[in-house]
Amino acid sequence: MNKEIAIDLKNITKAYPGVVANKNVDFQVYKGEIHALVGENGAGKSTLMKILYGIEQPDEGEIFVNGSSEVISKVETAINLGIGMVHQEFTLVPSFTAPENIGLGQEPKNNRGLVDWKGLNNAVMDIAKKYGFEVDPGLKMIDASVGVQQRTEILKTLYRNANILILDEPTAVLTPQETDELFTVIRTLVDEGKTVIFITHKLREVMEIADRVTVMRAGEVQGVSETGNTSITELASQMVGREVFLQVKKDEAQPTEKILDVQDLWVHDARGLLAVKGIDLDIKKGEIVGIAGVEGNGQTELVEALTGLRKASKGKVMYLDEDIASSSPKNIRRKKIAHIPEDRTNTGLNTQLSIWENLIGNSYFRKPLSSRGIFNLKKVGEHANKLREDFDIRAPNVSLKVKSLSGGNQQKVVVARELSEDPSLTIASQPTRGVDIGNIEAIHEQLVQMRDEGGAVLLVSAELDEVMAVADRVGVMYEGQIVKWVNPKEVDQAQMGLYMAGVKD
Amino acid sequence: MEWIEIFDISLLRSLLRSTAPIAIVGLAAALCSAAGVLNIGLEGKMLNAAFAGVAASYYTESVWAGLAAGVTAGLLTALLFGLLSFTLGADEVLAGLAINIFSLAGTTYLMRTIWGQAGFFSDPRIVGFEPIHFTFLEGSFLEPFLSDFTYSVYLMFFLAVGLHIVYYRTRLGTAIRATGENPEAAEDAGINTVRIKWLVTIFSGALAGISGLFLSLENLTMFTEGMSAGKGYIGLVASSFGNNTPLGTFGASAFFGLGDAIGIRLQGVYELDSRLILMIPYALTVVVLILIGIRQRLKVRPVPIPES
Amino acid sequence: MDKFSFKDVLVTVAGLFITVFIAWVLITATGNNPSEVAKYLYEGGFKGTRNIANSLYQATPLILTAVATLVSFRVGMFNIGINGSMYVGALYAGWAGYRFTGLGHFSHVTLCIAIGMFVGAAWMLLPALLRVYAGVSEIISTIILNFVAVLFVSYMANGPFRADPIAPATPRILETAELKQIFPNSQFNTGFFIAVFVAILAHFVLNKTTFGYELRSGGDGLVGMYPSRFSSYLGIPSDRSAITGMLISGALGGLAGAIEVLGAVRYFFQELEFNQGFDGILIGILGKLEPIGAIIASLFYGAIKNGGFYVDYKTDVAREIIIVLISILIFFVSAQKIVKGLEKYPIVKKLDSIFSRKKM
Ligand SMILES: Nc1ncnc2c1ncn2[C@@H]1O[C@H](COP(=O)(O)OP(=O)(O)O)[C@@H](O)[C@H]1O
Ligand SMILES: [Mg+2]
Repeated sequence: MNKEIAIDLKNITKAYPGVVANKNVDFQVYKGEIHALVGENGAGKSTLMKILYGIEQPDEGEIFVNGSSEVISKVETAINLGIGMVHQEFTLVPSFTAPENIGLGQEPKNNRGLVDWKGLNNAVMDIAKKYGFEVDPGLKMIDASVGVQQRTEILKTLYRNANILILDEPTAVLTPQETDELFTVIRTLVDEGKTVIFITHKLREVMEIADRVTVMRAGEVQGVSETGNTSITELASQMVGREVFLQVKKDEAQPTEKILDVQDLWVHDARGLLAVKGIDLDIKKGEIVGIAGVEGNGQTELVEALTGLRKASKGKVMYLDEDIASSSPKNIRRKKIAHIPEDRTNTGLNTQLSIWENLIGNSYFRKPLSSRGIFNLKKVGEHANKLREDFDIRAPNVSLKVKSLSGGNQQKVVVARELSEDPSLTIASQPTRGVDIGNIEAIHEQLVQMRDEGGAVLLVSAELDEVMAVADRVGVMYEGQIVKWVNPKEVDQAQMGLYMAGVKD
Repeated sequence: MEWIEIFDISLLRSLLRSTAPIAIVGLAAALCSAAGVLNIGLEGKMLNAAFAGVAASYYTESVWAGLAAGVTAGLLTALLFGLLSFTLGADEVLAGLAINIFSLAGTTYLMRTIWGQAGFFSDPRIVGFEPIHFTFLEGSFLEPFLSDFTYSVYLMFFLAVGLHIVYYRTRLGTAIRATGENPEAAEDAGINTVRIKWLVTIFSGALAGISGLFLSLENLTMFTEGMSAGKGYIGLVASSFGNNTPLGTFGASAFFGLGDAIGIRLQGVYELDSRLILMIPYALTVVVLILIGIRQRLKVRPVPIPES
Repeated sequence: MDKFSFKDVLVTVAGLFITVFIAWVLITATGNNPSEVAKYLYEGGFKGTRNIANSLYQATPLILTAVATLVSFRVGMFNIGINGSMYVGALYAGWAGYRFTGLGHFSHVTLCIAIGMFVGAAWMLLPALLRVYAGVSEIISTIILNFVAVLFVSYMANGPFRADPIAPATPRILETAELKQIFPNSQFNTGFFIAVFVAILAHFVLNKTTFGYELRSGGDGLVGMYPSRFSSYLGIPSDRSAITGMLISGALGGLAGAIEVLGAVRYFFQELEFNQGFDGILIGILGKLEPIGAIIASLFYGAIKNGGFYVDYKTDVAREIIIVLISILIFFVSAQKIVKGLEKYPIVKKLDSIFSRKKM
């Protein structure tokens, strides 16, 4: 391998209010290599790449591209330097077609100064052919699959003549099979002389595709190695800062009677399409049932239907001896079903309200917090402060607005509220997303504790490691159906990957 | 006279005249909404321009000075809106609302304080726009359709077509639409979305100004307290009904213009209470809002569940 | 909604100074003497029992429209149509004031107020339903309904409710329907106490009851936040909260109109002109969407408004100057970045923590 340096970031520091996202980071990428940047959620990977791409400005540090020092104050500069980035969240205009998205901002013009749409289409098709992509030029992005959207994003960077491609967690939304296809694309790109920075927190992918890997933790670089000279365990320990990763201490589950029995449940999504297609599922007291699967396979709608936020179109949801399908969230909550929602800022919290107002959302109506509709604010304060201490919410007082808290502390407010009223069934959806490792453990322990005290838990998570470590029984969801039930102790990740791709056996 | 007789060529002319101010401010609203700016403040811009136009025309006895002053007033008000919303971080709705209240009180204050007039200000020295007569159309069957309208009618057609081309055939147009639909995508493509928002705000300020100006210097040459009478808001509804596209907005505005024109004719025929006639554009607006609501509800049609 | 903080006070006071400066320039530019205007403004607002009584009279509907505004804002809806509710509330309270005979004073007044509030609330039903069930912006629909209201009441005063062959006006209300005027030569009336009571009640309900919590759970921002999923997620029917908030807001607008007719003008006539519904938006924001803040801001506004009338009467300066100045003040107060920018300074931060309200 030649050692010409394409990207050299020196001593980059970037602080956001309350958190240093990058601390004296040095990051080097050789020309023509596939370089993996790994680290847990919140490690600072995206921030570092946004600095390189001109979206964020570093507080300190220098950037060298192909050997020359550059100040990248805006995206345009990065694009002109041949850098392209595919973001974690896609940046596509939904009503635009693939060519319209690809050409955005750089559309070719005809001699009258108008956009030459035909010329753009042809140019896009040419590039697509060169790299072996298939493109339907008339398809609007709103109607395109995730895989197609991602390929459109990659084409967008290629159209802008990017030589250095940054892919921020491209596999998070893909099935293992789609991931394989993506890897083929990445290899083609490198064969054509491109350099690829590949961000992920999945170490198996790193070993499979990357030439070298840089590990980040808590804003700092922990090490750089060639994939040939390292191992998953070594990378994992660098990533989390200790030897073992995601081991949840728990005893064998002692399931007793059935508490929830879902029978042939069908649910439509907001666009009127079928998101849940005939699911059967039961949960017993004293067990944690996990739902694994790539995001967007109906998990959101399943949880919303179980918690009353969305109407079930068909089927039964038997809770003890009562059908709660299409019951109101109020009725469902009053039956001691708690819900940690995946969307924290809009559903789980009202960030305009104070911490205490968010904490009492499921208890404000009961004594002693209120009686006859009138608050006892002293008791409310005591209650809120107790939860703040019990769940280690880092805030000077509970009168503060939730919007001033960090993401992890906001999540703790949600968890504290939901677990506080002694639920019989807890439905937790992506409960640790965007939460740092210490707090992830705390949340996992709290879920296990709920179980050990005889509660039932439904854990829905796109993090395979999390479901496998925490749940006692796991269903894999694919395209609105549970394609397989497994015992997490008896199945390996590769097999799970197949199930997540819809392969039944 | 039979009611059917009101549908004649003069109804069409009246329709075009009524449509013009709504369409021009509606296109301004569409442009803003397409770029993701909710511009409630258009109403105030119209009013300030109507006032400034009358004032300038009164003092200089030149309609062109009136035009310049009106457009400037629209631009300055737009500048204030942009400053508050984009630079100083005020909520767009609040900024627009405060600007409208400010403009209504401000123009009334100036009229009363400077000219000592309450209600309206009219003077022979105020010069207005004259209709344009095309001599080459004289005698042609096209003459009644095309000739002798005031500027606003021609401008309206020009703008609707011009903006359509800008929207769908220029880089600027795609940049505007991308900014409104997904600002991150636009930024990612190197488009400066704040600059785009400023641009549409300023341009729509000029358009709202022109629209307001035609209220006070075209068919009537006078200024009346609150003479924009909600046209800025109706323009917003028209653009929303027309999905924020130029031709759609133009069509929706013509619907309002038709209601207006029929109302005026009906008044002549049946001697209806003038207040009920005046209510027509607002009632139509409410109807259109309900139609928008129905359209939104119909958008989602659940697919059937297959039999097992 | 952020509670009052030192920063906010600082910005408001600084904005006030700048506004006064602008006023000075504006008044001088239109050929008047600012110090004379200031003198009359003060005298009209505060000098003597009669002026003070009139200032309080001016504040009466403002308190109610400001509370109407903040109730809707705090449930996450943006009701701009309070002026419309005020018109229809006034019209129908006046109608009830002459239409029902043989009632006692208390029951007649109560009936008139109830009808005014009911009609004011009903006026908001369509925009509320359109917003909740069809996603149509309540901002535009309520604004448009303001225009409809003006024409509608004017039509009614001219047509069906017209009593006088010469002037387009309804009959005078009966004595049993009158809210008593307390001072001679002033339209100040007992409606003021109703308004203050309602504002205090609103403060209690919004901040100290579970009903208020349920209403606010989906909102409490300065911008329309409905539909917020938070409240429906908690099992609070957010649609119902949004509709309830809009109806309460409309009812308070109707109450403002009813008090104006029952307490001050005593009949409804075509030229009767209200704009307190719009002033209430400005006052609600100045008072930081708190009912107590609304009372204070209304008293201030009522005084300078009454002062403005005196200025108008004594000089060539038109009374609209007051609204111009208050809206300029609002420009400052709404500019979030000015407030945020102040956080940079340690002294502001320190004072902020000293001034901020008691912690739980
Ligand atoms: N715009 C922002 N404002 C404040 N904090 C941010 C912002 N973006 C990221 N952060 C914080 O910076 C840290 C690093 O985030 P990020 O770079 O997105 O991590 P990663 O991509 O590795 O998951 C996190 O703690 C995150 O909460
Ligand atoms: Mg990231």
